Amino acid sequence: MKKNNPEWLGPDKWLQLSNNADETRVKAALSTVSPGIKEFAALVSPAAANLVEQLAQRAQVLTRKHFGRTISLYVPLYLSNFCSGGCVYCGFSSDRRQPRRKLGTEELKAEISALKRKGFEDVLLLTGERTPAADFNYLVKSVKTAAEVFHNVTVEAFAMTSEEYEKLAGAGCTGITIYQETYDRKLYSKLHRWGEKRNYDFRLEAPARALQAGMRNVGIGVLLGLHDPRSDAICLFQHVVQLRKKFWKAGVLVSFPRICAQYGDFKPGYEVDDRLLAQFIFAFRICFPDMPLVLSTRERAEFRDGIAGIGVSRMSAASRTTVGGYYHEARLRKDATPGHAGLRKEVTARSAGNLEKGQFDVNDTRDAKTFCSAMRRRGLEPVFKNWESVFRGR
Amino acid sequence: MKFSPLPVEGELGAMSCIGGELIVYSHPQPSIIARMKDVIKLGKFEFKSRLLVGTGKFSDVATMLSAVKAAGTQLVTVALRRFNREQKSDDLLGPLLKLKSIKLIPNTSGAINAKEAVRAAMLGRELSGSQFVKLEIHPNPHHLMPDPIETYGAAKILVKEGFIVLPYMPADPVLAKRLEDIGCAAVMPLGSAIGSGHGLATREMLRLIIENSNVPVIVDAGLRSPSEAAAAMEIGCDAVLINSALAAAEKPAEMAAAFALAVRAGRKARLAGLMEKSDVAVASSPLTSFLAGKK
Repeated sequence: MKKNNPEWLGPDKWLQLSNNADETRVKAALSTVSPGIKEFAALVSPAAANLVEQLAQRAQVLTRKHFGRTISLYVPLYLSNFCSGGCVYCGFSSDRRQPRRKLGTEELKAEISALKRKGFEDVLLLTGERTPAADFNYLVKSVKTAAEVFHNVTVEAFAMTSEEYEKLAGAGCTGITIYQETYDRKLYSKLHRWGEKRNYDFRLEAPARALQAGMRNVGIGVLLGLHDPRSDAICLFQHVVQLRKKFWKAGVLVSFPRICAQYGDFKPGYEVDDRLLAQFIFAFRICFPDMPLVLSTRERAEFRDGIAGIGVSRMSAASRTTVGGYYHEARLRKDATPGHAGLRKEVTARSAGNLEKGQFDVNDTRDAKTFCSAMRRRGLEPVFKNWESVFRGR
Repeated sequence: MKFSPLPVEGELGAMSCIGGELIVYSHPQPSIIARMKDVIKLGKFEFKSRLLVGTGKFSDVATMLSAVKAAGTQLVTVALRRFNREQKSDDLLGPLLKLKSIKLIPNTSGAINAKEAVRAAMLGRELSGSQFVKLEIHPNPHHLMPDPIETYGAAKILVKEGFIVLPYMPADPVLAKRLEDIGCAAVMPLGSAIGSGHGLATREMLRLIIENSNVPVIVDAGLRSPSEAAAAMEIGCDAVLINSALAAAEKPAEMAAAFALAVRAGRKARLAGLMEKSDVAVASSPLTSFLAGKK
C-alpha cells in the first residue's frame, strides 16, 4: 500500500490554512467570485462557525439560481445485505450476526412495483461488498430489471473494475455512488478490517474508472464522524475538482452521510453536529454552485426540511434500509386491520426501519406524501422524474 | 396560422397580454402603423408575443402556469425529462397542454449528444403533438454549455425529420449561419450561462449574429432582469426566452408581466430607431466650416 495520498488530494496545507483562518478570511471567501480550495478551507474553518447564517444566505441564492425552487427525489433499494466486508462502523459488516438475504427475481419485481406505486422514478440499488450470493452478475441482472421500469437507475455497491463498470452502464445504470468513507489512509486501514475494500487506492480511483467506462455521473462523499471532518472535507473537495477536470462530461454529486447509531457498538471518533454539517453543505454549495448536493434519510426530518433548497438539491425519501422493506411494508399495511394490534405494531416498527436491522437507522421516517407536503410548504417542488429513459436508448 | 395571446387578469397582465403587437396605442406613429403586422415567424407559424417562457425550476405547477399566463407568451418550452405520464402531480406536460393559446416547444435538455437529442425530440413530438423542438445538448451537466458540434449534427437530422428546429447554441456567429444554412427556423444564442443571471455577457457576438441572420434570433439563457430583456430587443434580437429569472423571483407571475413589458418596450425602441451613440460632443461651430464655398 502507498504511504501517502497523491499530492492533489492533500489535505495538510489546506487543513492548516483552515484551522488558522480568521473571520476576515471567511468574509473574503464569501465575497469571492469563483471560490476555490483556498476559499473552501476558510468556509469550513472553525472561524466560519460564527458566520453560518451568512454562509446559508449565500448558499440559498446559489442553490435557487441553479436548481430553482425544486428538490429532486430518489429512493434507495437494498438488493442484498450479504457482505464480505469488514467495515467496523457498518450494520452489514460480515461479522454482525444478523439474518442475511437478497431479493430474488420476483421479490425484486415486487419491491420495484411498491416503489413505482409511490411515484418514484429515480432509484439507487444497493448491495454490500462482493459475495457469491450477491455478485457482479446479480447486480447487472438487477439493474436490467429496474431499468425496465424506472427512468433513472444508479448503483451503490462495491468498487469495480473498468470492464465491470462498462457492463453495468450497458445494462442501464447511469451512475454510481461510492464513498471513500475517510481519506485518511491510516484510519481507513484500521476501519476496514478485511476484504477487497481494504484497498484504499482501488476505491479512490473507482469514480474515475466508472466515468472512464461511460457512467454519466458519480456520487462521492465521506462518512462524517470517522475522521477529522475538516480534513476529510478538504480531500473530498479536491477529489471533486480532480474528477471534474479530468472528465468534462461527468456529473459529480456530493453526499453528506453522517455516522449515526448502527447495529453494533461502534463509537465514531469525531462529533459532527448539525451546525457543522450545515456549514460543510453550505461551503460546498458556495464553491460548487452547480453541483447536486445530496442528503439521505439518515438525518432527522427537521434538519432535512431546514436545509432543503438552501444547500441540498437532491434527497431520498420514504427510505427503507432493509432488504425487501418496501413490499413488506405494503403487504403489512394492507393486512393491518384496525383491530389487529400486533400487526399494526409491526407496521410501525418496520416503518421506522427497526425490525430487521438495516444498514443504518432511518431518522426521517415520513412517507413520500408527507415528505412532499413538507417540501411544498417550504415553497419547493419535489421532482420525481428528472431524467428520461429515452436518453439511454437500449 | 396565428395564435392570440392569453386572456390575463390584473393590470400588469392586461398590459403584457398585448405581446409584441404595436397597434393598440392611442397615438400610433404612421411608420409603425405601416408595420402593423409585427410578428415573429417560426416555420409556418406567426407569433405576436416575443417573450418565450421556460417551465423548469418553479416551486409548483400553479406558480409556473401563473407566470406563463402573466407573460402573455405564445411559446412555452418544457423538458421531455419533466413529462411524467405515470404521475400526474409530477407532470409538466399535462397542465400545459390544457392552455390552448400557447404552442409547446418540447426541449431535449438532459441529452449529452446528437443521438440522444434526436431520440428525445422524436418522443417529445409523439407525446406533445408539437412539431417544434428546442434542441438542447449540454454534455457537461454542471455549466450546461451547449455543444456546438453535436447540436449541428442533431439539427441536420431533425430538420430532415420535419421538425421546426430551434437550437440553443453558444453565441457564435459562424455556428449561427451554419445552423441557418441547414434549415433551423431560428437560432437561440445564449446571453450568458443558464441560470447565471449574468445578462448579455455575449452582447458583441449577439450583434454579429443579428446583423447576419436571416432567421429570428432568440436570446436564450442568462437574462436576470427585464432591463436586460429590453436591451436584447433594442440591439435587434427577435425574441427572448426567460425561465430562471421568473422561477427564482419572489413573485414569478409579476416578474413575468414585467418581462413582457420590457420585451415590448425594447421591441418598440428597436422599431422606433435609437439615436446614435457618440463619444464626443458635436461642436456648434463645425471645424470644417473653412471648407464651405471654396474650391
